[in-house]
Amino acid sequence: MLGYVLRRVTIMIPTLLIISIISFVIIQLPPGDYLTSYAAQLRTMGDIVQQEEIDALRQRYGLGQPVYVQYFKWISGIILRGDWGQSMEWQKPVRDLIWERLALTMVLSGVSILVSWFIAIPIGVYSATHQYSIPDYILSIISFVGVGTPGFMLALVIMYVAMTAFGLNVGGLFSQEYLAAPWSWAKVVDMLKHLWIPVLIIALGSTAGSIRTTRANLLDELNKPYVETARAKGLPEGRLVWKYPVRVALNPFFSTVGWSLANLISGETLVSVVLSLQTIGPMMLRALTSQDMYLAGSFLLLLSTMTVLGTLISDILLAWVDPRIRMEA
Amino acid sequence: MKRKVTRREFVRLSVVVSAGLVSACAKPAPTEVPQPTKAPVKATEAPTVAPTAVPEVPKEAPMLAELVKQGKLPPLQDRLPKNPWVAPVAESVGKYGGTIRRAFRGVSDRWGPTKLGDRGLAWFDRNLVMQPRILESWEVSEDAKVWTLHLRPGMKWSDGTPFTADDFVWSYENEWTNTDINPAPPGAYTTGSPRVMMAIEKVDDYTLRYKFAHPNPLFIYKVGRGGVPTPGHYMKQFHINLVDDKDALQAAAQKAGFNSWSEYYVDRNWWYMNPDKPSVMPWLAKNKLSEELFIMERNPYYFAVDPEGNQLPYIDKVTHRLFETPEVLNLWVTNGEIDFQARHMSMANFTLYKENEAKGGYKVFVGKSAGHLAMNINHTTKNKRLREFFQDRRVRIALNLAINRDEINELVFDGLYTPRQYSPLSMSPQYYPKASNAYIEYDPDKANQLLDEAGYTEKDAQGFRKWKDGSGEIISFTFEGTADTGTPDADAAEMVSKYLADVGIKATYKFVERSLYEEHYNANEIEAAWWGGDRTVVPLAPEAPIFRGTMIDRPWACAWGRWLADPSHPAAEEPPADHWIRKIWAYWDQISQEPNPDKQNELFFKILDIWAEEVPMLGVLGEAPAPIIVKNGFRNYLEGMPIDDTTGDEHLLNTETYFWEEPEKHV
Repeated sequence: MLGYVLRRVTIMIPTLLIISIISFVIIQLPPGDYLTSYAAQLRTMGDIVQQEEIDALRQRYGLGQPVYVQYFKWISGIILRGDWGQSMEWQKPVRDLIWERLALTMVLSGVSILVSWFIAIPIGVYSATHQYSIPDYILSIISFVGVGTPGFMLALVIMYVAMTAFGLNVGGLFSQEYLAAPWSWAKVVDMLKHLWIPVLIIALGSTAGSIRTTRANLLDELNKPYVETARAKGLPEGRLVWKYPVRVALNPFFSTVGWSLANLISGETLVSVVLSLQTIGPMMLRALTSQDMYLAGSFLLLLSTMTVLGTLISDILLAWVDPRIRMEA
Repeated sequence: MKRKVTRREFVRLSVVVSAGLVSACAKPAPTEVPQPTKAPVKATEAPTVAPTAVPEVPKEAPMLAELVKQGKLPPLQDRLPKNPWVAPVAESVGKYGGTIRRAFRGVSDRWGPTKLGDRGLAWFDRNLVMQPRILESWEVSEDAKVWTLHLRPGMKWSDGTPFTADDFVWSYENEWTNTDINPAPPGAYTTGSPRVMMAIEKVDDYTLRYKFAHPNPLFIYKVGRGGVPTPGHYMKQFHINLVDDKDALQAAAQKAGFNSWSEYYVDRNWWYMNPDKPSVMPWLAKNKLSEELFIMERNPYYFAVDPEGNQLPYIDKVTHRLFETPEVLNLWVTNGEIDFQARHMSMANFTLYKENEAKGGYKVFVGKSAGHLAMNINHTTKNKRLREFFQDRRVRIALNLAINRDEINELVFDGLYTPRQYSPLSMSPQYYPKASNAYIEYDPDKANQLLDEAGYTEKDAQGFRKWKDGSGEIISFTFEGTADTGTPDADAAEMVSKYLADVGIKATYKFVERSLYEEHYNANEIEAAWWGGDRTVVPLAPEAPIFRGTMIDRPWACAWGRWLADPSHPAAEEPPADHWIRKIWAYWDQISQEPNPDKQNELFFKILDIWAEEVPMLGVLGEAPAPIIVKNGFRNYLEGMPIDDTTGDEHLLNTETYFWEEPEKHV
């Protein structure tokens, strides 16, 4: 087991390096650079920007240099000094920007995932054990609608309803008066008042899918001989279902931890953009469109690291949860 | 037309009235109100006012009066210059207090807070003529090479340090001419090509002389939002040449995440990233713009007073809140959470804003944007047949006459625009009706006749005209733009396309992504563009780049404009020796030597004569309305003002004079 983990970790290092090169090159692929997109954006708004200012900035950010020089500057900064470079758009070290938003992002996504599992698993189990009953049909319809509704659309609708019908303050995670205030009990309460909307929207999106997965997997398991045997031996139905087939049916949840980790950081991008949440998703999206390459590159690197790490964790978890899996070479 | 003249008269009148108000004051007038003179060259002869002339009873914000009482702040007369700037008020003298809530899109969108707070050496009055602001007055020499600037004695930085000629000299020596900080010298202080830096001379503590190598008559426009020196007494701690411990500075720069001291210096020099840096703005940064709520609070040393001698600004605090998408901003607007904003307000949402006026407790003011809706036909396109077509004046006139501008205005824009060519706005000092109205009437018969005269007589079965080269192919070109399908601008483009088809010309509108558009015009791979022009409020200030064809993202003279800037560029091309664009350039050369503003205007009108004659673009609509959200009870900003970069967008009328009728309700 330990040898297996070690081997996997060693492979991760070159994988990540290659990913970093590819992502850096991809960011640079569109014509122009951050400054051309910045200048163009200003011109659309009718602002006047002097060419010498652009030239000065280009020299300052080293944008005139070849791509490989820029890449080595960036990657050596990360490896040697933990310096992720400067964001051009935010005029701030990338490290600070990511840290500022990381906690809030993790809270939001973490809570959403938990809420989603909390709703999806019992419903999925109920649906499977009561297959083709009226409640199963109703729940299936609802979850199909849920799978088909894009989160950002739901966000727009909920935001509109919350504002027009209930006069709630929407957009962002805090009311304006708490934005600049230091953390306090009142600020936490204010955050919770705002948090439920995004949590609900993000959770609902994945809940529907999870219900379907749980239901389908459990249905496969319920007909297997071991269930039959357990029932024949007189195990109460509830204990039987929860203890044996459900555990097996949950395998997909563990095998997708790999994506969930990355999702923790960027899964809520569209919803966050619509709701104006100060999380990592919207910042990454903007960094990509404005070619703010150190910021965008750092995000991509972070996400790939999370995915690679997550895959490892899910492999280990699976082996632990499911005794049928063996560690061989 | 008539209505606009009345408005201008009114404006003129009200300035005179407010000037009268000052002189009628029992107290000695602090200074002359800048008269709306047409000749700012001979601005006021520095009125010598004794220190006692400052109002005996200090009039200042209650929060400052409190600080004075506690001994934490010197009394008002020690904070104001001896001869403070008297900011004209648009409506009335105001009340102290309150907050303005606004929104922004992140650090790269620093322009909202920046335009609100920037104070330059001079500024526009309501006739859009430059008047002294930080300066007490200025003079320019006959050859327009030497500018003498008079500062306001007793003016202070926001930390109480005197603001003198030494600050300018310090900035000149340590910043403007320092190639680590400014790889290219700042445009405002250079002339000629290649650029030559000016020389600076300190005459006394409050008088400076800027000496340029070439005539620089438009200099004052370049310091409307700038020209302010750096507070050397603070910034010297970040300058490698001025610190004793150079290693410590390098280490500090490294620690803050910068590669060199100069990057660190530049970062510390941004007012919105460094709340500690002293400034002369009406409000000072209280935190960094990279945060979700950017807060600005009043500058206790601000150098301006209202006509009754009350220190400005009236408003205590300005906040900018970060938003990610326009939808959220719109919800904030309709919910009454935005107090005063034009930036990011789109005409496409006009109805939404209007419908929610009562609910949100605000009014939508309509200002005039500098933008025009126009087709830039590329006279220098690489397509030879098309080039011949576009360069034929009869063709350009025909294409202009083929467009039914009134119909587009009514159908797409509810009649809110004005049919006109790309030209200075009617409120502009450079307004020239002849250019605005050239060939804007709808006359398809005349258009057909002109196209026939130009030799494009052969048509195919569908009525599309064919090229003259006998290839049998029909005339067809693409005009590209960044307005996406379904937007009003794209709808208007489709209509133009239809009108041109009616006279037998196939022009297709194509939406392109912005960076692709950039690629296209940079390589002169563009046949025509659907992007009008702005810079029409005071076109002289930004040096009329679109009228000269040198701003090639409006690519009507793409390769020629490039040639003027950089003859060696692969996409550059020299215009023919007898082409009329050379006359435009020749007139501009004269303007850039002419110190007299009236003569500058006359010469500019000659350029506009050429525009009226040659109609280089297919101008469709202009005087574009721009929505400004103004919360009820917010005063001293007027409807109908220009919304343009040159004149500071919604901040033209001196933000420091804006006030709340009931400040206590807007804390």
